[in-house]
Amino acid sequence: MATKDVNLPDIGEGVTEGELVQWLVAVGDSVEADQPIAEVMTDKATVEVPSPYAGTVKELKAEEGDVIPIETVMLVLNESGAGAAASAPAPAAEPEPVAAPAPQPQTNGGSHAPQPAAATPASAGASAEMYPPVADSTVLATPGTRRLAREMSVDINQLQGSGLAGRVTRDDVLSAKGGAGAVSAGSPSVQMPAPSYQGQPGDMEERVSMRGIRKKIAENMQMAKRVVPHFTLMEEVNVTSLVKMRTEAKAMGERKGVKVTYLPFVMKALIATLREFPMFNASIDDEASEIVYKKFFNIGFAADTPNGLLVPVIKNADQKTILQLSAEIVDLATRAREGKLQLDEMRGATMTITNIGSVGGVYATPIINHPEVAILGMYKMEDKPVMINGKFRAQKMMNYTITCDHRLIDGAVAANFMKAFASRIESPSALMLDMI
Amino acid sequence: MSEVYDVCVIGSGPGGYVAAIRSAQLGMKTAIIEREWLGGVCLNVGCIPSKAMITAGHFLHKMQHDGKSMGFTVGKIDFDMKQLKTWKQSVCDKMSGGVSQLLKGNKVDIIMGVADFKNSGEITVQTKEGPKAVKAKNFIVATGSRPIDIPGFQADETDVLSSTGALDLEEVPKNLVVIGGGYIGLEISSYMKNLGAEVVVLEASDALLKGMADPECVQVVARKLKKNGVTVHLNAFAKSWKKSGKSLEVTAEVKGKMETFKADKVLLTVGRKPNSDEMNFKAAGVKVDSKGFIEVNPQRKTSAPGIYAIGDIAGQPMLAHKASHEGVMVAEVIACQNRVYDAKTVPAVIFVDPEIASAGMTEEECKAAGYTDLKVGKFPFGANGRAVSMMHTDGFVKMIADANNNVLLGVHIVGPEASNLISEAALAIEMGATLEDLALTIHPHPTLGETMMEAAEATLGHAIHIIQKPLAKGGKSGASARA
Repeated sequence: MATKDVNLPDIGEGVTEGELVQWLVAVGDSVEADQPIAEVMTDKATVEVPSPYAGTVKELKAEEGDVIPIETVMLVLNESGAGAAASAPAPAAEPEPVAAPAPQPQTNGGSHAPQPAAATPASAGASAEMYPPVADSTVLATPGTRRLAREMSVDINQLQGSGLAGRVTRDDVLSAKGGAGAVSAGSPSVQMPAPSYQGQPGDMEERVSMRGIRKKIAENMQMAKRVVPHFTLMEEVNVTSLVKMRTEAKAMGERKGVKVTYLPFVMKALIATLREFPMFNASIDDEASEIVYKKFFNIGFAADTPNGLLVPVIKNADQKTILQLSAEIVDLATRAREGKLQLDEMRGATMTITNIGSVGGVYATPIINHPEVAILGMYKMEDKPVMINGKFRAQKMMNYTITCDHRLIDGAVAANFMKAFASRIESPSALMLDMI
Repeated sequence: MSEVYDVCVIGSGPGGYVAAIRSAQLGMKTAIIEREWLGGVCLNVGCIPSKAMITAGHFLHKMQHDGKSMGFTVGKIDFDMKQLKTWKQSVCDKMSGGVSQLLKGNKVDIIMGVADFKNSGEITVQTKEGPKAVKAKNFIVATGSRPIDIPGFQADETDVLSSTGALDLEEVPKNLVVIGGGYIGLEISSYMKNLGAEVVVLEASDALLKGMADPECVQVVARKLKKNGVTVHLNAFAKSWKKSGKSLEVTAEVKGKMETFKADKVLLTVGRKPNSDEMNFKAAGVKVDSKGFIEVNPQRKTSAPGIYAIGDIAGQPMLAHKASHEGVMVAEVIACQNRVYDAKTVPAVIFVDPEIASAGMTEEECKAAGYTDLKVGKFPFGANGRAVSMMHTDGFVKMIADANNNVLLGVHIVGPEASNLISEAALAIEMGATLEDLALTIHPHPTLGETMMEAAEATLGHAIHIIQKPLAKGGKSGASARA
């Protein structure tokens, strides 16, 4: 019977591999062309991979949790129709290849280049308490440097040596520990110690595999916290005028069928302020030791979804009207909750806004979405008594935070940024002055 | 009554005593258990005594063969094997005594006796005074290996000798049949021949030193053995032996035909096996693999918490210096320092004539490890002034590097003092050195060490003291040895 290999297709620009979250078919299932066969998680999105052919599933080539390089065989189909008929007189020698010739062991580590085997004797289970892992035999570093890395808990296998032929120097290790250099700009995954948790026996606890979006969030947050020295500045801003303006805009939007929220106004105020403070719309290329100033404004906004935090991105937000932004926010947020975002809709943000004010909380200290260098937080809006011209007046007040990468942005700069931003929020008519 | 040690080391060979000393240096209360001799096999019946005997063999050989060209007329040389044995023993005693002093000086408690695990936190030591319980928070197992037998032959140390018996003979046997052409068999063969024995080597595989050394290096040794009059039979399976009058007769299947060999002594050197069938490891929960090695992780932790294993019993290569390196590392791991076994190479030396030494990978191993582009070059000792003036010109230095970046991957030396030359190669490989690094380091003249620099140059394609094709730029090894 003719078989067809189904490869993991190219699922997004720059994506080289994906983690198999879940098989949607089993051996023996018949599959139609374009029927989803598996959920694969890449970067931040989980996508359903369709089968290009129709047929019956002969063999699954990967297990849930495996990382599969793109263009690698995921499963094998017995072709339906013509293929089966062609080999009609096949004797019943092979009934159903149940656990027939064992499929070769799966590539668990993803698309790594062939590596020479480590020269060390086989280990009896690498223990969790041993970190960093043993230097691979291909790592070029002196014994003294290898020991330094170990004592500083730097995994020397992850370093890009700056010396001749990629030799890892003492300075490479020291700067890796300092944060810079430990992670090359392109690689978001950082190897961390994996302490085990000794739990209670019985059914007092339930164990669920950490995979998919949750695992990716964990990796990204860990990396950002490790690489970026965070600090947060907090401010209370009078939004009475903004509320008035938005109330009017909301009514106008409704006539056009668009729900206008506060977020587009905040975005506009933010972008105007970013133009004034370009270092907030930047990234640090640790590998090159360079600051990258971006001349475009892609604003991400944190969206809470049943699967966890996602950050859809509004591309070129500076070139869009309040109405356009409103419509796009609603669309992206809806699809984020449904798990239907495309990968490139969550990439390329130059700065991010997190808005948990609708739920509650006075202030928070968000984590920067690396490689961005700042994140703006907006919180609950409340009526508060404010002293104006010697009298208390009820005013709409709202808290904002700006969290910065202190490698690039100093405290005073952040305070000035917040001041400039707050003045735009307090006098939204000033936004007109910035309008393009 | 019985006190609890921080560290108890079992076995005082080059792994064990080093581990004990470092443990004590780190402030841990340490004991060491030894059943036979301080210093273990290495110092008493292995590395050290065999080197003493080899030195004596070379000495005699040089007097008899090299003296004449230099103008010496050497008459009959009287040789007293008993005196040689006494001297050899004094060498061993000196080394073993040194270990004892070092252990005592570091306040390590020495307990003589045979140890068995009672559980993972306690051993029972059968001492002269009776059983003694020793408790420790950490145990380091360093109990080594022992020679193996084959069907039909069992070492009785009278007729059939192991390496231990061979090193302790009171007279040189007239005819010696050596079963096993590995490094121990050939080291003993070569000194026995030098001291006057007729030596026949029976090797079951199709090559001497199979899998232990670079095949080209082995060729040089095989030629020299032949020249010196050692008979080597490959594909020869020793089957049995019997007494025949005053001497012995060994029957072997050589290339499919049965042959008999006359012998006064039979030397059995077919390999060594880890002593993991002793000490009741099961009671401690220590797992042993199918080859008899204790299973360990890169920190040499066994499957039982608090029990470590180092040296021969913890896996290949079964070499003293690997054991010592592990001994230091494990002591530091126990003292909560972050350590791991991450040596890139364990250099190996074989004291045959000429000596073989290697560090890093052979060409075959490089290819298996995924290096597709190699530069290989050789420099012969025949082109080295010191070697010529020592009348020791057999052999060469061979270097293997990654052709993409000239990073040194392997060095294989066969020739005079190869054992003393290889350390530079080991350092170079650990440092990630390139061929240029070696070639550009000034080596003193006139020394054997110059061959390292020249071999690096040869691998780059432009050694001075051999004729190479002009400017073989980036090409594969231009070096052709003029041996």
